[in-house]
Amino acid sequence: MALRLPSKVLKHILSFIDSNEDRNSVSLVCKSWFETERKTRKRVFVGNCYAVTPAAVARRFPAMRSLTLKGKPHFADYNLVPDGWGGYACPWIESMAAKSPYLEEIRLKRMVVTDDCLERIAASFKNFKVLVLTSCEGFSTDGIAAIASTCRNLRVLELRECIVEDLGGDWLSYFPETSTSLVSLDFSCLDSEVKISDLERLVSRSPNLKSLKLNPAVTLDGLVSILRRAPQLTELGTGSFAAELKPEAFTKLSKAFSNCKQLQSLSGLWDVLPEYLPALYSVCPGLTSLNLSYATVRMPDLVELLRRCSKLQKLWVMDLIEDKGLEAVASYCKELRELRVFPSEPDLDATNIPVTEQGLVYVSKGCRKLESVLYFCVQFTNAALITIARKRPNLKCFRLCVIEPFAPDYKTNEPLDKGFKAIAEGCKDLRRLSVSGLLSDKAFKYIGKHAKKVRMLSIAFAGDSDLMLHHLLSGCESLKKLEIRDCPFGDTALLENAAKLETMRSLWMSSCFVSFGACKLLSQKMPRLNVEVIDEHPPKTRPESSPVERIYIYRTVAGPRMDTPEFVWTLHKNPEIGVSKLAIK
Amino acid sequence: MEFSNSCSSFSSSSVDSTKPSPSESSVNLSLSLTFPSTSPQREARQDWPPIKSRLRDSLKGRRLPRRDDDTSLFVKVYMEGVPIGRKLDLCAFSGYESLLENLSHMYDTLIICGKRDRKHHVLTYEDKDGDWMMVGDIPWDMFLETVRRLKITRPERY
Repeated sequence: MALRLPSKVLKHILSFIDSNEDRNSVSLVCKSWFETERKTRKRVFVGNCYAVTPAAVARRFPAMRSLTLKGKPHFADYNLVPDGWGGYACPWIESMAAKSPYLEEIRLKRMVVTDDCLERIAASFKNFKVLVLTSCEGFSTDGIAAIASTCRNLRVLELRECIVEDLGGDWLSYFPETSTSLVSLDFSCLDSEVKISDLERLVSRSPNLKSLKLNPAVTLDGLVSILRRAPQLTELGTGSFAAELKPEAFTKLSKAFSNCKQLQSLSGLWDVLPEYLPALYSVCPGLTSLNLSYATVRMPDLVELLRRCSKLQKLWVMDLIEDKGLEAVASYCKELRELRVFPSEPDLDATNIPVTEQGLVYVSKGCRKLESVLYFCVQFTNAALITIARKRPNLKCFRLCVIEPFAPDYKTNEPLDKGFKAIAEGCKDLRRLSVSGLLSDKAFKYIGKHAKKVRMLSIAFAGDSDLMLHHLLSGCESLKKLEIRDCPFGDTALLENAAKLETMRSLWMSSCFVSFGACKLLSQKMPRLNVEVIDEHPPKTRPESSPVERIYIYRTVAGPRMDTPEFVWTLHKNPEIGVSKLAIK
Repeated sequence: MEFSNSCSSFSSSSVDSTKPSPSESSVNLSLSLTFPSTSPQREARQDWPPIKSRLRDSLKGRRLPRRDDDTSLFVKVYMEGVPIGRKLDLCAFSGYESLLENLSHMYDTLIICGKRDRKHHVLTYEDKDGDWMMVGDIPWDMFLETVRRLKITRPERY
């Protein structure tokens, strides 16, 4: 008779396992392990809010203390998903309020959250501690006020890049005088001015406050006063840095910063005047993270700042840094792990080219620990990609956005196939890849074959035919999320590789050549996928061959969703399918 | 090769990326790729390049610092109805007058600033915000900071 591990012992072992991937593996071993695991899981992650019902999640994980949910597809960040598509947090909050009253942490990304929802959270979870909303919308500052006033043990309140109906800065005054538990506060996405005295008092009575991100409405004077009261901060997002330059203002600011001896992360810096940058010099040697994406400052000033940041691990900056500035980064910031370079002129016909492929090559050569890249530039070369792959085989995330669609290697006029082949082959640990520029089907053959660990792949304006999609879906062993826009295919490849879609979280295709007939057929063939056709301007009649604007396919055990707006077609909504004229392969 | 046995529906010849492949010939051909690369009418888009709205909004209307070695500012110039454009270095001109003079010479016809009318070719420009504006309202230096490209309209037909 086989010896069974007593569940008490298993429970104890599991208390050391935090990773959900590991816990998922544990739960597949046998029924008793499944049971023990589910009863002990505290942090629950749901990557697609429509993949499973809230009730099922609450039922399975009775010990849940932390819930993370993601709603809209990633391309919603770039306005590719019409408003009203879905991703509502309410059903989840309702369910958790009823079944998981001990919930302490909620993290939502790309979801629609209403004030009612926020009020429900405040009212239902007595020990609520953490609320992080990333790229969410649908609520106003009233909802925030409800959280602030009711959650006595609130530690974290972060609104990251949300779209909030801003009814004024009063919400801040709703934190009761007795609230002293705050560890992190981020209101950088709000527009209205908060009363600086309210903020000063809140900061003064929060000895555990480590992270504070102000909104642009907070002035330099306000910042100085806050820093004086919170010298223990490790993360700071400044307010607006543009003010009339007075010598006393500069000295005060400089002194305030020099007292913040634990500062590791700096962001904000909206409208920063270059003359104020030296006030930051005292904190530079300790900085590990610097977000300059809103700082439109020229290269010489940027270099003066960055050459003092020898411990920097994460740098987000505008392309105003130029190749020369990146060369300086390569020589001063030897600890760099993550680099993001954003376009300062997002117009397609921008005339200035501040950064070229050379900038990224410098950093790849000089920064041995570089593992994550997001780089926008106008054009690129195969040679540069090959060099980057050779120098940095440890890359985990490589996102290159060549802004000019279909831009070939500008030196040889060839597609960028060879370059991306080098990346796929050389960077064996690559998890995330975004490709751009002129690419033929061949490039995708290489990616399908070699990018074994890539989980997320983004493609725009590429490929010649269905072969491209076929290569990806029949290769890419670890593929979980695929998002494609403006590529000239896909019925055949889609239908051929339907089974692959069940092994992935989701597939997004917009402005491609996917026909309505293929969507219907796929829906019928694959009952465990939700196939959503998203057409803001559908034709009056829908012949099988008519192309759809967007298609979003995801695996689910929740069945078809009931909250689709008018412009989303699913098989469930329109059962009068009839016989498809497309051959079933 | 692993692929040769499976479906012959995949044509092995590579297809011009702007045309639908043969299997899609029944697809409505008015679905064109959103970026016909030869069109001069590409306007500022909300979905490309892929940056988040907040960053995009913060860059609109912002006056970016001019680089030290900025001795030229080349912009595209189109004449309405003529698909091939020209490029012009605005830094080579001292002001609106010399710009108009040069353009009139380039296109061999009188070009003016101001409102559109029946007789004249009128110069317009696209600014940082993506809006098309009448040339001549703002000081020349400010114009150089904000101009993206130029368009010469044809005389209006009534």
